[in-house]
Amino acid sequence: MGCWFSKKSKRKSPEKEPTPKTVEDKANSSNANNIDLCSNTTEDPPKQYSWDKREKVDPKDFMLTGLKNATVGRLPGKLNGQQFVIQDCDNCKIFVLDHSATITIDDCTNCCIVMGPVKGSVFFRDCKDIKCVVACQQFRTRDCQKMEVFLCCATQPIIEASTGMKFGCFQYYYPELAFHFKDAGLSIFNNNWSNVHDFTPVSGETNWSLLPEDTVVLDHVPAPDPESEFKSVRISAEASRSIVPMTKGGRRKESDESCLFVFFSGDYTTANARKLIDELSVCRGSLVRARGEERDGSNTVTQAYCLFHNKASGKGFVLIQTKEVSMRPEDVSRVFQNDAEGLLEWITNGPVTALELNGDGVVEACKSMASDMFSGTKVFVSDNRNTSSRDVDNFFNFADMQMGL
Amino acid sequence: GGECNLGLLSVLQKLKGTTESVELRIVLLGLDNAGKTTLLKSLASEDINTITPTQGFNIKSVASHGMKLNVWDIGGQRKIRPFWKKYLENTDLLIYVIDSADKKRFEETGLELEELIDEENLKGVPVLIFANKQDLATASPASEIAEGLNLHTYRDRQWQIQACSAVSGEGVQDGMNWICNNIVNKKK
Repeated sequence: MGCWFSKKSKRKSPEKEPTPKTVEDKANSSNANNIDLCSNTTEDPPKQYSWDKREKVDPKDFMLTGLKNATVGRLPGKLNGQQFVIQDCDNCKIFVLDHSATITIDDCTNCCIVMGPVKGSVFFRDCKDIKCVVACQQFRTRDCQKMEVFLCCATQPIIEASTGMKFGCFQYYYPELAFHFKDAGLSIFNNNWSNVHDFTPVSGETNWSLLPEDTVVLDHVPAPDPESEFKSVRISAEASRSIVPMTKGGRRKESDESCLFVFFSGDYTTANARKLIDELSVCRGSLVRARGEERDGSNTVTQAYCLFHNKASGKGFVLIQTKEVSMRPEDVSRVFQNDAEGLLEWITNGPVTALELNGDGVVEACKSMASDMFSGTKVFVSDNRNTSSRDVDNFFNFADMQMGL
Repeated sequence: GGECNLGLLSVLQKLKGTTESVELRIVLLGLDNAGKTTLLKSLASEDINTITPTQGFNIKSVASHGMKLNVWDIGGQRKIRPFWKKYLENTDLLIYVIDSADKKRFEETGLELEELIDEENLKGVPVLIFANKQDLATASPASEIAEGLNLHTYRDRQWQIQACSAVSGEGVQDGMNWICNNIVNKKK
């Protein structure tokens, strides 16, 4: 493999391995096998780890390198949680429609990229003119210019030495996408897409901004060519079909009235939260009816849920943010204060799913929903519009702290 | 790896004139996205499912082999690497983390490590290199990484490269065992 860089190696003679010249050298260097490469303290021979024992794979199967004007990627089931590397691509449309461990994108220009849920980080370096749809645990860029990112990110996105970066809420659907989120360990309710940290801010300028709310994703990240290998995948980028609920995030709220709605862990938590969102919040687009299913590890259908949005009856409230997070008893006291006592037993089964909805009259609307639709479900709803902002702050401040160490 | 020789450890404690456990100051460095914070949380037996890119630094105290390890995990973005040297005084051990599957940045990480090794505050300080992310398909083995880093040229300190996968924890304890053994040997 050779030496990548070393000032010392440049001074040395060209021989590969130095011959021990002194007693000290002899003691420090070990016998000629892997041991001496890994330590200069006497040790037992290196252990065998799972990566030593597993079947070897060809790294090239996990890389796209040097492609131009192509539509490429991976179909569902073809990546299966492994790493993916994209480099030196120009004017390509790339669809990674599976869950992955981590994705790095280097030296790409003028590409449209869709990335299925990434368990770890997505890291763009030295890229320009990129439009992408990304779901990941961490989002990072360095030395990038002019990117549009429709993002679902479990933690705070970061950029470094990057300019012209624009962010919008993740908005995408294909049939396996919900399962891929589960496979990647990502929650559709944990999306910090709009609060970006810039490691190299420039005074007087902003290196990043939010995309207009009515941005049409497919105008920026088009669906695959119907003649491509992806023609069989039923893709949609309509807001109402998006696996990740559309959140307003950091954009300015239109009303002073917000409401906290919390679903405690139960059998239909995700379906119920989606139902509430669809009943109460505004979705752009026409009437869409879709039926989704959730499957457990053995592929048995555990939930069936119906999403529908009827524009005529849409209540017009706005979903600001969502969070899926575990709570301990001390968190319950801090967040719910006077209401805490009755809720303590509900946190032990699993994480809670919390929503902040905004709009004049939203508290009453949420309370009606709770009694009409969710009377048998364990929920918390803000009691009145005077205290609801405090509920929201208490909850989401607590949730934000969980994100850090 | 082997087990720590507890007999020697208690001798060490007697020499210090105290029954307090030995405390080590450890600095955890490496490029951004190497897996430093994941490693830190793994050492502390904490959940590693949601980790945010480090903006400043994280500190944790971890009990290991009867020692108290005070571990400083410093953010590795290029912009903030100049701050690394501010954390180096009185360091007992450097842990340097490398993303074994990010070939594009091998040269960059080699350069940063080399600059660190030249730092006055790290003179003679042992270094443990974690060749992390061995679980990934394009990961290079630890021995290759060691060659590329020219570790065999390190004359004035003890060093070890340890393959690991911080997300699963595999290999991490073996690295910690080396620390324990190495510190005892060093102070003998």
